Amino acid sequence: MTDWACATLLFAQEIAPREIPWLAWFLWLLIGFFGIFPGVVAYMVWAERKVAARFQDRIGPNRVGPLGLLQPIADALKLITKEDIVPDAADPIVHLLAPVIILVSSFLVLAVIPFGVGLAPVNLPSGLLYLIAVSSFSALGVFLAGWSSRNKYALLGGMRAVAQLVSYEVPQVLSTIPVILFTGSLSLVSMVDRQYEFGWFVFSPPGFLAFVVMTIASIAEVNRTPFDLPEAESEIIAGYHTEYSGMRFGLFFLAEYLSVFAVSCLGTVLFLGGGLLPFPLNRLAEWMGTGDWPAIVVNIGMVSVFSIKVLGYVFLMFWVRVTLPRMRVDRMMNFAWKYLVPLSIGNIVIAAVWFEMVLRDPIKRMAQVEITGDEYIPPGIGVGLKGWIVTGALVIALFLTVLRVNRGSHASKIKEITESPIPLPSEAPALFARAR
Amino acid sequence: MIQSIFLLFSAIGLMAALGTVLSRNLVRAALWLVAFFFIIAVQFVLLEAEFLAAIQVLVYIGAVAILLLFGIMLTRNIQGDETTSASLNTKLIFGALGLALFAVLATAIVSHKGTPERPAWSKIQGRPDDEAGRDGVLTRKDTINNMAKTVGDEMMTRFVIPFEIAGLLLTVALVGAVALARQVGADEPIDRVRKAGFTRDDAPANGSPEGVAEAPGAVASPSH
Repeated sequence: MTDWACATLLFAQEIAPREIPWLAWFLWLLIGFFGIFPGVVAYMVWAERKVAARFQDRIGPNRVGPLGLLQPIADALKLITKEDIVPDAADPIVHLLAPVIILVSSFLVLAVIPFGVGLAPVNLPSGLLYLIAVSSFSALGVFLAGWSSRNKYALLGGMRAVAQLVSYEVPQVLSTIPVILFTGSLSLVSMVDRQYEFGWFVFSPPGFLAFVVMTIASIAEVNRTPFDLPEAESEIIAGYHTEYSGMRFGLFFLAEYLSVFAVSCLGTVLFLGGGLLPFPLNRLAEWMGTGDWPAIVVNIGMVSVFSIKVLGYVFLMFWVRVTLPRMRVDRMMNFAWKYLVPLSIGNIVIAAVWFEMVLRDPIKRMAQVEITGDEYIPPGIGVGLKGWIVTGALVIALFLTVLRVNRGSHASKIKEITESPIPLPSEAPALFARAR
Repeated sequence: MIQSIFLLFSAIGLMAALGTVLSRNLVRAALWLVAFFFIIAVQFVLLEAEFLAAIQVLVYIGAVAILLLFGIMLTRNIQGDETTSASLNTKLIFGALGLALFAVLATAIVSHKGTPERPAWSKIQGRPDDEAGRDGVLTRKDTINNMAKTVGDEMMTRFVIPFEIAGLLLTVALVGAVALARQVGADEPIDRVRKAGFTRDDAPANGSPEGVAEAPGAVASPSH
């Protein structure tokens, strides 16, 4: 099924020889899914502690090994050797199953990410849909963790967490629709391919808005500050994983950081051009056609660029975490449904305008060029400029409208409240009596 | 090979279905149902319809199962213990109804005749050959690669009426849910203060408990 995927141009070229697919699979599983990704996660924890320490004027981990570099290994040993406590009343099978489901969902997301040319573990024709589907497993895992613990705090925390995950999944999915529209395909490889032809999707007003919405929704999906209510210590005694200890808790931890890595990869692939540089490299494909070694060199470069982008994205998440305070639960839900969802729905229409104005004609001509073999003439700068002006104005209008609709209904009320004195605590009894 | 995989997963699916029906605990029954939905997705993959498999997982596991569990949690005993007990008569009646539904569906599927353009499924021996695409008929490869487009085309042409009716049904359900959930009044705590008509002028001048008790409308203040 892999070789049928609708890749064109650069990504049509294969690096792994077709005759031994099992070797490629073996390498992906052994090096990628058992080696690199858990290692990335372990050192992401270290990096987060170091970054947060710098922000807070501390040193961070520095005792275990040089610069505290062996700290993740020490943490892992601690988690593995800790006693694994399962409550008496807990449902033993589901209690074990819940962290596994969450971890599996985080791992499965990584299976369709194209890290380089031909370096996607699987290239599914409907890869983005697959990705959304497997990432929706995590809500189930969170719910089961809360339910199986037989602890009312865990259950309440789990239900809260699921409500948050389900709510923020909506803007996250809606903000990927502009990318699908620009690409005309659900394959992540084709998406990178299209960005190779027309530049990164973030360089267009609807693409930029979708990128911002998706980043915010992703931060909420992976439960990080300012949306870390599902697992914050001060919210219902840490929520759904209250009754987990030892390595079972470690699995939740691992899954969270793996999800951070996965959404960073997804954001990079969808909007930041994967492993591509911002300017088009038309020569690359011709040069790659000459043999295996250029392909490997190009891939090393692309994976490096990809890693730098993912690191930047992860750093952005750390930065947000150490900067912003946690949101209140009702404000958080309002933010998803009243701001992000209308923004992303309106953005789909604007993305259609951008597609009509800028992308449709070049795509059609490029397809003709492939048939006739003539030279492809890229569109002039004026087309892009016109599209920028029109869609930019639309995006700003949409943003202001959403702000106006949400704030406007409250504006007079907010004014009245802020200008009138706030009742003193000693007046509360009269207040309750009146409210009754 | 593919036959044995199909049989294996069908057996697992049947087990999951039995678990759904026979489980005493409602949440566990829902879990078995999730497993069954997943097996359906596996069957779609075996039929080379990975788009439908992804949709199946997304809609049924990601949305329906979660809503189901939420419904159980919000309406039943909070841990969902032993809540599926029913009398033998009820079980027999519903068992008979299930068998009757199965008989109707099986008869309908077996007696499928087909049309000249689309032969009955029992006449089709294997999967369509990749190279044998007729004019106007998508080849197997195109269908698999662009299944989203194929499904969309079919929904907008051949199955447009069922599609629209389903859409109408969902819209009605959505509007009904909004009508049920919509509350007159705002959701901010401070608004309730305003709604209660409390202003500074109503408050007693010193704010002492005695003053509260004398305040109009103070029926049962905690200080008394």
